Formats: sequence, structure tokens, C-alpha cells
Amino acid sequence: MRYALCSMRSEATDALCAMRYAPCAMRERITKSMKQELKRIEQEALDAIKVVSGLTEVKTLKARYIGRKGVVTTLLRRISSLPPEERPDTGRLANEVRKRLEEAFEKALQAFEADRGEIPAVALDVTLPGRPLARGRLHPITQMTQAICEVFQRLGFEIVEGPDVELDYYNFEALNIPRDHPARDMHDTFYISENIVLRTHTSPIQIRVMESQSPPVRIIAPGKAYRVDYDISHTPMFYQVEGLMVQENISFGDLKGILTTLVHQIFDEETSLRFRPSFFPFTEPSAEVDIQCVICRGAGCRVCSHTGWLEVLGAGMVHPAVFEMVGYDTERYSGFAFGMGIERIAMLKYGIEDIRRFYENDLRFLEQF
Amino acid sequence: MKVSLSWLKDYVTIDVDVVKLAEALTMVGLEVDALVDRYAYLDRVVVGHIVEIAPHSNAHTLSVCRVDVGNGIRPVVCGATNIKQGDLVPIALPGAQLPSGHTIQVGEIRGQVSEGMLCSEAELAVGTDSSGILLLPGTATPGIGVAAALGLSDTIIEFDLTPNRSDCLSVIGIAREVAAILKTSLRYPRLKLPPGETPIEKITSVIIESPDHCPRYAARVVLDVQIGESPSWLQERLHSVGLRAINNVVDVTNFVLMEMGQPLHAFDFDRLAEHRIVVRTAREGQAFTTLDGAERTLNSDMLMICDGKGPVALAGIMGGLESEIEDDTRSALIESAYFDPITIRRTAKRLGVNTESSYRFERGVDPDGITKALDRAAQLMVETAGGKLASGVIDNYPRPIPERVIEVSVKRTNRLLGSRLNQEEVISYLKSVELNVAPLDKDRLRVVAPTFRVDIERPEDLMEEVARLRGYDQIPTTHPLSHVVASPQDKKLECRSRLREILTGCGFSEIVTYSFIGKDACNKLLLPDNDPRRQMVSILNPLTEDQAVMRTSLVPGLLATMYRNSTQRNEDLRIFELGKIFLSPPTADRDELPEEVQMISGLWTGARYDRTWHLKGEKVDFYDIKGIVDSVCAGLNIKGLRYTPLDSPGFPYLRLGHTAEVYAGDELLGAVGELTHEVLQNFELKQPAYCFDLNFDRLVHCMTEKKRARPISRFPATTRDVALIVDDAIEAQGVLDYIDGLGEELIGRVEIFDVYKGPPISRGKKSLALRFTYRSYERSLTDSEVNRIHETMTQKVLKQFNAQLPRRSA
Repeated sequence: MRYALCSMRSEATDALCAMRYAPCAMRERITKSMKQELKRIEQEALDAIKVVSGLTEVKTLKARYIGRKGVVTTLLRRISSLPPEERPDTGRLANEVRKRLEEAFEKALQAFEADRGEIPAVALDVTLPGRPLARGRLHPITQMTQAICEVFQRLGFEIVEGPDVELDYYNFEALNIPRDHPARDMHDTFYISENIVLRTHTSPIQIRVMESQSPPVRIIAPGKAYRVDYDISHTPMFYQVEGLMVQENISFGDLKGILTTLVHQIFDEETSLRFRPSFFPFTEPSAEVDIQCVICRGAGCRVCSHTGWLEVLGAGMVHPAVFEMVGYDTERYSGFAFGMGIERIAMLKYGIEDIRRFYENDLRFLEQF
Repeated sequence: MKVSLSWLKDYVTIDVDVVKLAEALTMVGLEVDALVDRYAYLDRVVVGHIVEIAPHSNAHTLSVCRVDVGNGIRPVVCGATNIKQGDLVPIALPGAQLPSGHTIQVGEIRGQVSEGMLCSEAELAVGTDSSGILLLPGTATPGIGVAAALGLSDTIIEFDLTPNRSDCLSVIGIAREVAAILKTSLRYPRLKLPPGETPIEKITSVIIESPDHCPRYAARVVLDVQIGESPSWLQERLHSVGLRAINNVVDVTNFVLMEMGQPLHAFDFDRLAEHRIVVRTAREGQAFTTLDGAERTLNSDMLMICDGKGPVALAGIMGGLESEIEDDTRSALIESAYFDPITIRRTAKRLGVNTESSYRFERGVDPDGITKALDRAAQLMVETAGGKLASGVIDNYPRPIPERVIEVSVKRTNRLLGSRLNQEEVISYLKSVELNVAPLDKDRLRVVAPTFRVDIERPEDLMEEVARLRGYDQIPTTHPLSHVVASPQDKKLECRSRLREILTGCGFSEIVTYSFIGKDACNKLLLPDNDPRRQMVSILNPLTEDQAVMRTSLVPGLLATMYRNSTQRNEDLRIFELGKIFLSPPTADRDELPEEVQMISGLWTGARYDRTWHLKGEKVDFYDIKGIVDSVCAGLNIKGLRYTPLDSPGFPYLRLGHTAEVYAGDELLGAVGELTHEVLQNFELKQPAYCFDLNFDRLVHCMTEKKRARPISRFPATTRDVALIVDDAIEAQGVLDYIDGLGEELIGRVEIFDVYKGPPISRGKKSLALRFTYRSYERSLTDSEVNRIHETMTQKVLKQFNAQLPRRSA
């Protein structure tokens, strides 16, 4: 298309140039050829209009032929230089050509304006894939962590972090889990030395924060945790999010409220929650939080072991022994803490069956998120 | 912990459906894991009607029965002699698995087809009689399940108990909670000790040499017992919770263990040297064989039960082989003790044993339940094994466990829970689980925790009791009232989210790999011996060798991911990881934590663009990955960014001459370049790969927020191009920096638009084509003015870099 336009233009200009610089002896021949040239130009223009593909192109084409400096217009101006006997005929022809071309252009313009689009004369195969700009994905765990943290940030919680390699003191003792306590059986711990462990949960961050700041405290702490475990639902490294809120007059009812908000925002408003008594050495009362099975909506299925419920969170009111450890006034302050496994939530939300997929980093898996 | 519904019913009246009960138990904190039909194994054992019985043609001890099983008649070969035509008997159909483990199949016995097996009581584990086929009552209908025909129905309730509730490690403990839920009362077993004859003090003694490890030890002796099989009711109870019957004396101790939660041990009294008990710690290195036949090496922290000569039991964990109750045992000494939980736990952990007994002692048994359980066992032993009870009891209690008295305020309880309970309600919840409660005033209560509730120590523990018995679902859901305080945006978090945005925008996908890697990772990366990254933090108990140390670089994770994807034919990768590396502290202080440094590293391999119909698979190169680092640094608004050829020893895994170090001013941010062939080979990779490895913490440090808008010139710009022939070694950046340093105000920008080597340019030289854009903020520049400045600039550059202009072709 573009090639056609260019070649046409050059032929028309060649004709003009030839005329302008032609010696006088050749004039007659030129006059004759001017009539032929007019006819040829008309035909060319009409052909060009047929294959033109857009409004702008029609306008350009129109300007080139019958615009103020157009080929036909210029020829018309040159008629005065012809021998007088030639002028009427040539002039008539030229005007006719211009009129016909005007009509043709007008028609084409109208057609395009009505279409406001492209003519399918040389249609593209629009089903061929577009040229993709590569789009990277965030790891599903990052996406899930961000979603959870954002809910709490909207609630005014601050994001904090702590070390992965942690002192036994922060991971256990300050959380009211002394050495030789049976509750240590709940954590299969990786040891670096007698007093250093890979943190088994994100809860030590609670202690580090409370040691460094006085109430009120409102934090959300995402991070990696480690336990000696590997199967379809356990990996030796996994992610948790820990939450802590401490101030005057925080109640168990408030804990229920905050976690209900979380579940409703992450899943949906119809997802019901169930709080049941449990045991964590660093909370009292302690609760295990179940959500209604997101797969079967509580009817009972394989995912929820036919109970209709899925365990997703551990929570409770901060144990006074923990407050004593960090020097908080147990008479004045109360607070709640909770923790949840990110993979578990992501698995439920995205329908992932094997937790190990998260750490294989197969692109075919990552690209789904 | 497992209990059977039938056993529970001995102590509490249960008039609700077991599914409802299980749900209610879960909701008071005793999580029910499963409800199991105890007789599910009898599913394929049905009532059969013997319609015909005839001798086996090939075996005179066998007979062939034709048995109506409801939906047809089946031939069965049988060896029993107590059956006749017309009898109703249990028949195990093909596919049935009997408690012995035997699976019934259609078979041929001496040429005769047999399609099932007629069973005895013992074979079905519904009784102890194994003398003949079980004869069913005449009212049973052929074809119905044998469990139904015998009226057998029971459910095993399996609990996943939390470690604080040791009081529920017994049938009575669970029954107590059931009674509280159903608002009914608990029926304790009636104790009726037979009169004793010989006073116990005359025949034995107990000396506690380690009272800290053993605060209480009680014993009774039963003389002249007759060891034998337990009565069927006792066997039945043990079977119902999955325990095997052994003999009447041992069965009694196991029964009381399950019933009351107190582990007991029965010694063969006559095999105790000097007929006495000494409780003391073991000698270091001493060997001892427990009754499972394992020889164990002891240390001086382990508590032993000894006789006059030496150890006879690993206290609270397992008895010894030598003093076990055997068929010829005449007299038994029953031990009921309270051992220190920590002592038992340490010993059990060290020896790697976990028994029903150690499990309970570790969590704390009821110190006041010691003598009750002892009496209960003595009574049952005399009832089931005969014999005479020695009169009296030995009860050494050198370290009394103090009573726990707790004051709790109803107001504070409501405040913590967010509830509105009155004092009366609180009292009734606490009393329902046998807590001794008395009001002190209108608000406060005085509570004496029962000795079996070792978990109740503080007012909050009582508040939890109230909450769980009330039901967590009955506590109103509220929202906390709080001061509005906005914390400032954390720079690290800000940087992290910007990096993730930039890199995903550049087509890089995030990966997350384990923080631990194999010890050989440093060798694979060719790190020199003195590289600080070789000082790795080791895990004492890794799961596998390739997860034995904490990573000191993210690069092995990227390469392992590349390998994994290449095996899946994902050959075009653009990936990054944002995570910590762990550097060992230089000092030898054992309690110092490693330095955790955050890194951001990425890898690009394979195609430059996603493969598609219009592209012919161009490969990624150095300038592609460098462009990513450019984007990252631009996105973080890092000032003074510059690249220098690889020089420092920090990146031996990157290819010399194809790698740049990345600086912001004088701060080294990291490197970007191509991975060496050797490193790729070490990770079994064949395809070239490019990587950037940047220190996140330094990026955060160099990230700037300040952005000030500059006015945009209203006047047109003019460009001038110049090609410089320079030495190949001249770095482009140097040329640009030089021009920048000249400080010509009218230069808007200078860019390199072409680099060319080859004819007609002579060897060792290259052509560097620069485009200068000139622009003023005040006026339109004239051609001549621009030409003049451009000429000056060109001359300066030519001189500075000893460059030439290309020879013009005619």
C-alpha cells in the first residue's frame, strides 16, 4: 500500500518536471501528453482510492491529487501556458477530472467516516497471537502474604520482621516454652547450636517487638519458619504471618472480630468461622480457628476430611507469663496474638494440592498466578 | 488418646448421639480426630443358617456345610464339632479380614470348595471362647451382620489432645468433660478393698533416695496370686481401646492406667532382691535391659527403681526384664508413684523411648490419684487373680505437691473475654469440671484447683475454663477500639515492593527457594578459600545433605531452579529471588546470631523475547541483563550509578570480561554478567545464563526519594551526530562522563547510537557514534551557534581520547 502511494507520486511529479523544463519546441507534444497525463493520473488516483486502508491515507491522497499543491491543481494552473486553441479542451478535461476525483474522494471519506475503522481490503489475520511483552509473576506465597498484610495495614497494623536464625530464648523460653516442656514436641526444631535454632514459628517476633516498644502495639509479622518435616502437606521451610495487638482493654471478642474481618476479606463474607479451645503456651485462653470448607461450603468433602471445617489459624490472648517476660504490666494491658501458615491459605485459595509445588519453582506452576 | 463409648458409659450417662457428643467435645477443647465403628471389621461376617451338614468325603475330621447367608447358599468346609443342621452361626464371607489378620478367600479344602469360614467367639474377638463355633440366638435372620445379631455396637473416639490436658489421658478424665458438657454427674468406680492379712511393713519397704525426682511412691503387695487369663469383661475393655490382653495381673495395671490415667507397674515380688524397693538415680554408664529386651546405657540423671541389689525398672518409663510378671509369679508388688515430669522426659528423650507411662508422667499425673489408683488395682487384682492382699499400704511422700489456690475476679474475666457473665454463671462453669470454688466477695472467687488439673495455675487459666465451657462461639464478636496512629513507611518494605514491581514489569518471575543448601555450594560457585561466604551456618540435624547449611548466596538457588526447569524443558527463564543470606559471625561466640543480609538476584537464560510466530529466537546477552539492572536502579532512583569491569574477587562465578560490577558512587551494589562455563557445568547446565547479584540492603541505602520537576524547554532541540574512531579499550562510559564533565549547558543529552568494529576501521579500533542533542531553555538555537559548540566539543573529545574522525568517502 505505502509502496503504491510512493510510486504514484513520483510518476506524477516526473510529468510535472518534464513539463516545467521542456524546451519550447516540444510544447505541442507536451500538450497532447498533458491530456493523456490527466487521464492517466485520474486512473491512478481512482485505483489508489480502491486500495486505500484508512481515513488519513484518503486525506493524504486527496491532498496529493486535488489539494492546493496537488498534481491536478498544479496541472490546471499550467493550462494558461498552453497554446490558446488547446486551452478550452484541456481545461474542460482537467476540471472534469478534478470533479470526478473530488466525488471519488468524498465517497471514500464518507465510507471511512461511517466505518471509523479499517477497510478489510487487505485484512490481517487477527487471530495470530499478539506480540507479547513479557510479564513476570510474583510468587504465589508473596501474593498471599501481601494480601494478608494489606488487610492488616488497612486496620492500622505495622509490618515488622525478625531474624530467621533465632535464639532459643526468643523462639521458646520467652514464649513460655521452657526446656523439657512437652509443648516442645509440637515443634520439630532445626538446631544450629544448643541455644540457636531456625525459628519454628514467627512468634519470636512478638517478643522482640514488645522488648523494644511499650504498648500500644499493633503489628503483623510475615516470615519464614522451619520445622523438620517433609510430606504432601509439610515442607521444612514454610511461611507464617504473626499478628499481635496489645493495649488496654483488648478482649477475646476483639480477637474474634479481627480474625473474622481477615477471613471475610481473604475468602468472602459468606465464609463462616469457628473458634475452638486449644493450647499454646504463650496464649491463654488459646483458640484454634477453623473456617468453613471453601471447597464444599461445609457439606463435607475430602479436603476437609468430611468435617466441613478447615483449620487455618492459631490464636489467643497473650499469656501473662509472656507479658512478664517483656516487662509489660499485666494488670493494665491485655492483647491478642495469632499466627497462620501462608501456604495453607494459598493452597485453599488457589486449589493447590501439594505444598511442595511452592518450592520447586517450576515455571509452569509459577505462571499460573 | 482413644476411648470407647461403651467404656465411657460406665462412668457417665450419655443420652446424645455420638457425633453430636464428639462435636461438643471438640468445642470444649478436646479435639476429636475420628469416630471409628469398633466393629467395622465384622462388616463381612454375617449370620448363616446351616441348612445341611455332611461329612467331608476326603477328610474324616472335616465336614461340609451348606449355609444360607441370606442371599444364597454357600458351601463351607468346617472342622468344628459343636454344630448341627439348623444352627445359626457367624460366617465370615470372602474378603472379610479377621482380627488375627487372616483374610477369607474362596478356596478348595481337600477337593471341596469352601466359600467362607464359620467362626468362634475368639476368632471374631467378641469373646474369649475358642472351643467351638459361636452359636447365635434363634431369632437372628440369616444375612444380617453378626455385630447386629449379637447386639454389638460401640464407637471408638480418637482424640488429638493438647499437651496441657494430661487429666484427659484417661477414660474417667474424658468422662468428666462429658459430664460437664451434658450437665450430669460422674460416677466414680466404687472402691472396696478386701481385708488384708500380713502387714505390708513386715514384708517389704520403700526407700526414696532421690525425692526431687520421685516426690511420692506408694506400693501394695498381693500374695499368692494365680496368673492366668483375665476375665472377658476386662479383656473386652482393653480391646476396646486397642490394648492387648497379657495376663490378669498386667491387664489390671493397664486397665487402671486407662481408666484413671495413673501408670502402674507390677513387679514379681519374689524376684525383688531382699523384697524391697529403693528409688535412686542410676550409675553413669550402667547397663539395663528393659522388658522389651533392649539393653540400655544409663546415666546419673536417670531415675531407677531398684531392689536390694540393683535396678529393676526404668522409673516411669518401662519395667525391667528380670522382674517381669510371668506365669509362675506368686506375689506381686504394685507400684503407684509420682515422678518428676522433667526427669522422665529427659530420660525418655535421651533413650528414645516413648511409652503410655512416660507420656503421662511427662505431662504430670494426679499426685492425689496415686493411692486411689493403687487401691483400685489391688482390689481388681484380688478379684481377677485371687490371692491375699497384704494389709496396709506403703505411701512415701517426701515432697508434697502444694495445693494451688487461685483468686479470680469475675469483672476481669468478663473484661478479658469480652463477655457479660455473672458470678453465679462463672461459679457453675468452674464447678462443672470439679473445681472447688467459693466466692470471696461480690466479684472475686477463691478457687482450689483439683490435683488432676496440672494446667491450672493462674487466674487466666480459670478464665479459659469459663470461656471454653461457655463455648467460644457464645462470646460476642467485637472490634477493638484503638488510637489511630500511622507508622511511617518502612524504607525496606518500600524498596522491596518497588523491586518486585520493576522486575515483574521487566518480565522476571519471582521464585522462592529453601534457605538451606548443600555444603558443596561454595565449591560449585568457585568461591576462594578465604571468601567470607564459606563460613556457613550449619544445621545440626538437617533433613538431607543438600539442606545442611544456611545459604550464603542466592545464586545456587537460581541455578538449581534453572536446572529443574531445564529438565522440564522450560528453557527460557527470567527469574529472580529476593531473600536472606546468612553469614557466620566472625567470633567463636556460640550464642551470637549470624548476620542476615538480604540479596536480590536474578537469572536470564534462553530467548531474549518470548518465543512467538514473528520472532526467530534471538538469545539473551550481557546487555539484556545489564538493561534490567539499569531499570532496577532507575526505578529506585539511585544516584551515581556506574559499571566497571569485573575486578574484585567477590564474583568468581561470573565470567571475566563479560561482567560488570555495579556501583552507586563508591558503594558496591553487586555484579551483573554471564555465569562461567565451569559454574554452569557444576550445576549440570549447558545453556549460557546471565545473572545479577545485588545486595538489597545497599540498594535500600542508596535508594532516593527526592524527585524534583524540571521545567520543560519550549524551544526546539537540534541534534548533531559524530562518529569517533577510538582505541578498542576506551570505555563508552568514560567518553560520556568526560563530555558530561565539560559542563556545556546547551547539551541536553548525549547518547551512543552505534558501535562498530571491522573494515574499513583498522584493527584495535572501534567507531563510537554519538548523538548530541542541543537545546536551550531560553531561545531557539541557530544552526551556526550549534555548529560552533559542536565543533568545540568534538575537538575536545578527539583530543582527550586520541580519537579520529572517520575518513569521508567521496
